[in-house]
Amino acid sequence: MVKNVLLTLFCLAVLGSGGFAVIAYRSEISPISASDLRVFDPEVVEQGRLMAAAGFCAECHSVPGNAPYAGGYAMETGFGTLYSTNITPDPETGIGAWSEEAFLRAMHEGVDREGRHLFPAFPYDHFTLMTKADVRAIYAYLMTEVEPVAASVPENGLPFPMNFRIWQAGWKLLFVDLGRFEPEPDKSADWNRGAYLVEGATHCGACHTPRNLLGAEIRSKDFGGAAIDRWIAPALTADNPAAIRWTAEDFTEYLKTGVTRAHGVAAGPMAPVVHAGLQKLPDNDLKAIGTYLGDVVGEPQSEAEIEAAIETSLRAGRPSTGYRLDLGERLYASACAACHYNATQIVPGRPDLGINSVTRLDAPDNLVQVILNGVGNEEGMAGVVMPGFRAALSDDEVAAISAYLRASRTEFTPWPDLAATVSRIRNSNAH
Amino acid sequence: MPKTQGAILAPDLTRRGFLVAMSAAGAAFGFPRVSGAAQIFATSEGGSSSSDQLFEPSLWYTIDGEGRVNVNITRAEMGQHIGTALARILADELGADWEDVQITYVDHEKKWGGAPTAGSRSVWSLWSVYRQAGAAGRMALTQAAAQKWGIAPEACTTEAGMVTGGGNSIAFAVLVAEGLSRSFTQDEVKAVPLKPHSDFRLIGRDVAALDINDKTTGRALYGLDAKVDDMVYAVPLIPPTRQGSKVISIDDSEAKGQRGYLRTIDLQDPSGIVPGIVVVVGETLMAAKWASELVTVEWEAGETGTVSEDDIQGLSRELIADESKGTLLDTGNFDTKPAFDAAAEVVEAEYTTSTVLHFALEPMNATAFVNDAGQYEIHAGSQWPALMTGWVERALGVGPGTVTMRTYMLGGGFGRRVFGDYVVAAALTTKSLGGTPVKLVFFREDDSLIDCPRSPSVQKLRLALDAERKITAMDHNAAAGWPSYTVRTEADMAKGIDDKPYDTAGISGADHWYDVGAHRIRAIANHLASQTVRAGFLRSIAPGWINFAVESFMDEVAHKLGVDPVDFRLAHLRPEGRNAGEAPHSVGGADRQAAVLRRVAELSGYGRSDLGPDTAIGIASTYGQEREMPTWNGTAVQLRVDRESGQVEVQKLWMVIDCGTVIDPDGARAQCEGAVLWGLSMALYEGTSIESGQVYDRNLDTYTPLRMIDTPELQIELVESTEAPVGLGEPGVTGVAPAVANAIYNAVGIRMRHLPMTPEMITEAL
Amino acid sequence: MISLKVNGRNFSLDMDPDTPLLWALRDELDMTGTKFGCGIGMCGACTVHVGGRATRACITFIRDVEGAEVTTIEGLDPQGNHPVQEAWRNLRVPQCGYCQSGQIMQAAALLRDIPDPGDDDIDAVMTGNLCRCMTYPRIRNAVREAATVMKGN
Ligand code: FES
Ligand code: FES
Repeated sequence: MVKNVLLTLFCLAVLGSGGFAVIAYRSEISPISASDLRVFDPEVVEQGRLMAAAGFCAECHSVPGNAPYAGGYAMETGFGTLYSTNITPDPETGIGAWSEEAFLRAMHEGVDREGRHLFPAFPYDHFTLMTKADVRAIYAYLMTEVEPVAASVPENGLPFPMNFRIWQAGWKLLFVDLGRFEPEPDKSADWNRGAYLVEGATHCGACHTPRNLLGAEIRSKDFGGAAIDRWIAPALTADNPAAIRWTAEDFTEYLKTGVTRAHGVAAGPMAPVVHAGLQKLPDNDLKAIGTYLGDVVGEPQSEAEIEAAIETSLRAGRPSTGYRLDLGERLYASACAACHYNATQIVPGRPDLGINSVTRLDAPDNLVQVILNGVGNEEGMAGVVMPGFRAALSDDEVAAISAYLRASRTEFTPWPDLAATVSRIRNSNAH
Repeated sequence: MPKTQGAILAPDLTRRGFLVAMSAAGAAFGFPRVSGAAQIFATSEGGSSSSDQLFEPSLWYTIDGEGRVNVNITRAEMGQHIGTALARILADELGADWEDVQITYVDHEKKWGGAPTAGSRSVWSLWSVYRQAGAAGRMALTQAAAQKWGIAPEACTTEAGMVTGGGNSIAFAVLVAEGLSRSFTQDEVKAVPLKPHSDFRLIGRDVAALDINDKTTGRALYGLDAKVDDMVYAVPLIPPTRQGSKVISIDDSEAKGQRGYLRTIDLQDPSGIVPGIVVVVGETLMAAKWASELVTVEWEAGETGTVSEDDIQGLSRELIADESKGTLLDTGNFDTKPAFDAAAEVVEAEYTTSTVLHFALEPMNATAFVNDAGQYEIHAGSQWPALMTGWVERALGVGPGTVTMRTYMLGGGFGRRVFGDYVVAAALTTKSLGGTPVKLVFFREDDSLIDCPRSPSVQKLRLALDAERKITAMDHNAAAGWPSYTVRTEADMAKGIDDKPYDTAGISGADHWYDVGAHRIRAIANHLASQTVRAGFLRSIAPGWINFAVESFMDEVAHKLGVDPVDFRLAHLRPEGRNAGEAPHSVGGADRQAAVLRRVAELSGYGRSDLGPDTAIGIASTYGQEREMPTWNGTAVQLRVDRESGQVEVQKLWMVIDCGTVIDPDGARAQCEGAVLWGLSMALYEGTSIESGQVYDRNLDTYTPLRMIDTPELQIELVESTEAPVGLGEPGVTGVAPAVANAIYNAVGIRMRHLPMTPEMITEAL
Repeated sequence: MISLKVNGRNFSLDMDPDTPLLWALRDELDMTGTKFGCGIGMCGACTVHVGGRATRACITFIRDVEGAEVTTIEGLDPQGNHPVQEAWRNLRVPQCGYCQSGQIMQAAALLRDIPDPGDDDIDAVMTGNLCRCMTYPRIRNAVREAATVMKGN
């Protein structure tokens, strides 16, 4: 039902714009051969490596276990399944025949070398903000450092008529401001660097900003938090429900290490963003991102407020001999408390579930995901893992633990239909 | 057969190199796996003797030329430090230096007697045996020294590994090295004088337990740690009923896609011990496990496929109601009819208990193979290897002497490892595999399904009061699955006064030491329980649930009569007639029970009224396991009942215990701590039910034994005594449940007559 | 191939990446000090350290610990004399001993994070480790004793 409405809206929007086909037309850019490739300055290549990490290109353009950048990663969109493309320098199946100009056009305008409009699952709406120099550097990196791999990706699984790429041009018209990043003169250089990275290369809003029915980020709700891949990308604004508000330093630390004392760890889709991506940026850039996001989230709390939040959380975690009365509490005491309990302070690596946002988000998805699937060594805090309880606990048991934490650790209303959510998440990522 | 998959490809080490390197770092194993099953624990490193000279005064021990005393232990080590206790008894009589003592756990051969490690009987039954053996050695050593010095043997004494006399002294080592051979006949051994208690140097003192060290480093080897070259792994598929299930078809086509899957075997046990069990074999344990999830077996279920706990309890009630059922025990005066007929008042109550799982932390497992000598070798933890070998022979259809069991440490016994189904299943698996070594592992859920749980039980107690409100008679009817059916037939059971068989393991505890006039005890077997779940022995056996009834009932009656329950008990604990006790094990009789009861009342401050709202102390007193070996026990529990939730908060637990001579005070205390906490766990937290012929709870998500946070403060006092020692592993369990029930009554005035006493039942009763 | 680092040594295992760490340790690396009790993360018998934190090996897949540092009871202390182990021996904590590797590993991790644990702290952290022999009173005392010794050092 929802889909049909979407479709209608979409068609109307598109047809409403006159002379559309003309505007939509893009020409092909001629292919190049390997010999046309100029020699890149190693510093540019290095710059490209960093920017590719900042954009965590490898994450979407690779399938775990296959060659990096060879594409084929399936993205479930509300409209159907899309597969990422091969961006290795293979001339047939990758971007080996793309000139620098073609690559720039793709990044800045969302059009491929042959002139076809790209689906916005490729976040060119962010990359358009990047400087030519940064985009060129990524090109230099991909073309010289990445092994060419001949690998075709599956056909996109969009249903008719969504599969017509021309609609993408309409979408672009409606929702994207193409153009480079403009610094805010009254903000610091640090802030502007952060804004440039966050809005552009690292495209944080692609996950953390809610989207409208047509899948475009809602500008009025920038960083307001959104659901993605059956996880919740929490709000990066003052709406973030963490008991201790994020600070600039927290963001920097989190992106560097995957963990902060007060906010749990980078797991699920956020894990590679940190571990295979942003972590590699120079400290200055991470600090700049922190500065910018710190500004987005707003004023930090006072020491006293923070202390009070910690105190409340620690108190809620004290063991009780009445733990057997509630199934969730009993299971928690037996299976979880050994690692999650804190005494008089929060020890790094012992995520305290009273201040961790998983228990405080509007939806239980992140908590359920982590209980079911754990946190591997490639995620979260370096060298530390949490086992998943997928095979150990039933849906009702996972639901009971979640409900217990929600009730005992937060002041929020209970999550509805927990067991059904657990079942849905369990089945969505069974392996 | 294929080798195990997943060879280690450490860049710089071969597999052998790895083992050696680890050992050198002190982080691996003391001895090779295959031959190392019978564990040796030395006081220092190395368990075996490097000396050729050996003096073997009796089969129980040797002394070598370096003075090392190696004591043979015929009981399984499952946490009671039995080896340390027995070695200490022997070493004390011998006059050995404890530093020189080491122990060897021996196998199941006939010469060792073949008794089980169960029923808290080890020290009770072996006390004299090990003392006499030690004394015989002492005599031989003193005689040899006396002869050397030309003095009378009586002038010589032994202590700390030396013989001393007439101003001389000489080490055992020297005497043995010079050549000492003397062995004693049974009669000679019995005639050797024993030390008086006052001369004990090791008994009653704290010494280092010999098995502790390896249990803190991961080096102790349990059955699950057995490893044989080229071993494969197997996991079971459990049939719908415990008995009588037959395999109709097996479809393993899907499992064939599992890497490492080898085959699925219908065990076909002619002895009927593991009917219907199918095992799935793989190159690794997980390969077998994953494959087992892809194998479909169709069974024809046995008759108990729909049996529920209610069915079993219902049958018990029917059996109790039918006076022709059951066996009457000889209590001296069992004709209670006249007293009941003439009674001015009759008090009556029914007590029930739920099924309880063993949940030994090491799940059942066994490794089996045919060794180079063509014998079936079985490596496993076992409480009764001698019995199990016979079963295996029957199941395999082989002659006596073809099966050898090597016993490992037990990761918990509690009576479960008396029944050898897991051993038989492993033997049948290797047989099907042509003798290939196979380790059969029951995962936790399987382990619960094949448990021999404590049977659900129903007891009906009646008491006749005359016009002066004096007790004139007591009837005790107890119905449950009898544990001994797992290991013996009725022909081998005790006989009642009606000459019918009965299982002491199904009734002990009822034959108490209170003077109640005529006393009629009827033990009733619930065959449905036995058939459905093979109800078995579980720590403290019958006294664990029988005493819940006896000691709750005594309390109920006292309250009814308006007498303080402790005074009431004391008034009926009179050392007269058969309650006077007899040598050697029950000297003092009811007096000793009265003493521990009085002492625990005093210790706990029983009767205090300043404990706060809904808080009280309850008390119980038992004689532990059996009349022939009473361990006198007084237990008190202080608790608070939360009226809102029904939650019982146990604040403190006291126990005073008189077990005769205490061999190892610290070890005794440890046994008592474990036992009272078991008692508490079964009183409040542990219980499952039988549904559709199987136990309902199979793992820790729903089966909920006591944990650290549930552990109250304990105070345990051992009565100083020079009487013969009796058991300690179980008696501590027996007083807790009734003390809890009595405390709940004292706290909030409700009488709980079912175990476990759950918050729901308590709120309901309130 | 999965590479594991256990007690400071590197190993490559040709095993299914979904194999629980427990069985890789016990059956492939011959480190049988780590025990199997429940298989669902609720008894603690299989507790090892991953990155210094107590981790239930029975539900931790080897693919998830690639690159991490695993420590087992065999590697807690080269001589087996970690203060927790010594306290365990002094107070004669073990009965059957089967749960004790896990208890010791859990207690060692506890003392690293909470060097001076009170009763609540011990209750909260040690309640996940079942001891069927119910050696809890001694475990509690041994944790306290080890804490005192470790503070002294
Ligand atoms: S075996 Fe891992 S927690 Fe029980
Ligand atoms: S010592 Fe036996 S399970 Fe803990």
